[in-house]
Amino acid sequence: MAKHETPLLDELEKGPWPSFVTDIKRQAEKSPQCWDILGQLELSFKERITHWKHGGIVGVFGYGGGIVGRYSDLPKRFPGVEHFHTVRLAQPASKYYSTKHLRDICDLWEKYGSGMTNMHGSTGDIVMLGCRTEALEPFFYDLTHNLQQDLGGSGSNLRTPANCLGQSRCEWSCYDTEEACHHLTMHYQDEIHRPAFPYKFKFKFSGCPNDCVAAIARSDVAVIGTWRDNIRIDQAAVKEYIAGNIPANGGAHSGRDWGKFDIQKEVLALCPTECMWMEGGELKIDDAECTRCMHCLNVMPRALRPGVEQGASICVGAKAPILDGAQFATLIVPFMKVSADNEFEELIEFIEKIWDWWMEDGKNRERVGETMQRVGLPTFIKVMGLEPIPQHVKEPRSNPYVFWQEEEVEGGWERDVEEFRARHAA
Amino acid sequence: MALTNDELKAAILKKAETAPKPQLYIKDFYACDPDSKPRVIKNAANDLVKEGKMMFWSSGSTTMYAMKNRIKDEEGEGGVN
Ligand code: HEM
Ligand code: HEM
Ligand code: SF4
Ligand code: SF4
Repeated sequence: MAKHETPLLDELEKGPWPSFVTDIKRQAEKSPQCWDILGQLELSFKERITHWKHGGIVGVFGYGGGIVGRYSDLPKRFPGVEHFHTVRLAQPASKYYSTKHLRDICDLWEKYGSGMTNMHGSTGDIVMLGCRTEALEPFFYDLTHNLQQDLGGSGSNLRTPANCLGQSRCEWSCYDTEEACHHLTMHYQDEIHRPAFPYKFKFKFSGCPNDCVAAIARSDVAVIGTWRDNIRIDQAAVKEYIAGNIPANGGAHSGRDWGKFDIQKEVLALCPTECMWMEGGELKIDDAECTRCMHCLNVMPRALRPGVEQGASICVGAKAPILDGAQFATLIVPFMKVSADNEFEELIEFIEKIWDWWMEDGKNRERVGETMQRVGLPTFIKVMGLEPIPQHVKEPRSNPYVFWQEEEVEGGWERDVEEFRARHAA
Repeated sequence: MALTNDELKAAILKKAETAPKPQLYIKDFYACDPDSKPRVIKNAANDLVKEGKMMFWSSGSTTMYAMKNRIKDEEGEGGVN
């Protein structure tokens, strides 16, 4: 039986879509503290102000992350949410787990918490919503000892790394995203579990430029698979697509009749760099101009495949809109080998160079992308010990100022003023 | 010359005890020893938490350090701003 009147929230149950209000009411029958979530939220809707306090001192012994303290500012009125801490669990690479593991996690959470979960949070973690401070240690003990399941990251820590399912299921993956994600997760346990930085830091791994984990929008270091040779073309399959014998986009748009497949209209004309054409019945690509947008490969997966020289592009500095607007990551390294053979040595070296600089020069609560913006890309590239390359330039020729270093100029900055004045009187 | 680990910890504790605000960012401790790398200072501060001498305060997105006796628990009256 509902504990509070919630006429405003009840409105949210009326549409044809699933409703979190209905979900919480159902869970409240099992976990009565959930009634107070609805009561407090209804009050917030009415008063147009939140009744959650921000942050606090919660954690489990030895960990400085993974648990986000949340308290109601009306504990007497809503005792069920007096404490309502969030616990983040590290999701396994690609989010593969058995249903048994999920059931065990849910059972454990009904024992110690509200039973409410968020599968998965935007961070990638499995999110357990709502428990009291005194339940944290016993929950953590059972979690680690019985389920072999670790907490994720929160606060000024390295956040739980995330990856697309990569080579486990996807033919486009240009490196083993699962191995990379798992290896770096294990390598940086201390950084994940204890605060390490001026602010949060994330890396995410996508196997190809389709970027299914949205690494370029969501991570401080985005590792996005790519190739540096040519797109592999099966001309016979191209002909089959043109003849309509293979459905375009793997049949993904087959719910409606879109008419006969038109390679000119649907592929060539949509190539953003206009580097594709038909010649003598064959598809041609000027690969030097290809920007790896994946469109043609997505439309004709049986005919086109990534090249064989595979690795990843590294982009740095994405963030959500907290201070300034949202920002995508900037391309820093166009091609890097990403391989378990050398334990991801190059990538680790790159990441630590960023950390050393950002920990020192980044301001409190400044994401690395904001630090980069503050100092400018040329400075960041110099800090990283990289040579500027055309791929770093967003709009060529829009800035006429070229800055030379003294050692790059013959004779340096020193000149013979006497000799100059002999020719040009002051 | 960089401070030894024990000297560094003592300097961090002194700062945490005497700073005007009870909650401190990790960067606030960098000044305890300009010759130590940020990561060395971070490790010393985290050790002090492990030893129970300091504690973490987290908003969820940012983590700060504080002395236990200088900070009021959210669960008590008033709480931290
Ligand atoms: C007090 C005297 C002057 C002041 C305050 C002044 C100020 C400026 C400023 C603010 C600019 C724009 C700079 C930029 O776009 O970054 C400029 C550009 C320029 N000024 Fe002056 N100026 C002065 C005298 C002169 C004189 C005497 C000459 C020529 C004999 C001159 C020739 C130019 C030229 C050619 C530019 C364009 C430079 C370029 O686009 O690369 N200025 N000036
Ligand atoms: C045959 C003689 C000259 C040639 C061929 C020449 C050519 C050029 C060219 C190609 C530019 C670049 C235009 C651009 O950036 O779009 C330029 C800019 C400029 N020239 Fe000349 N120039 C000559 C003589 C002179 C003289 C005698 C003066 C000054 C007394 C002068 C002052 C400038 C200035 C101030 C600019 C910069 C304009 C700006 O920043 O918008 N030029 N010139
Ligand atoms: S990002 Fe690319 S490799 Fe990874 S799952 Fe998506 S399409 Fe496949
Ligand atoms: S991947 Fe994109 S840019 Fe490259 S050839 Fe195909 S459509 Fe053009």
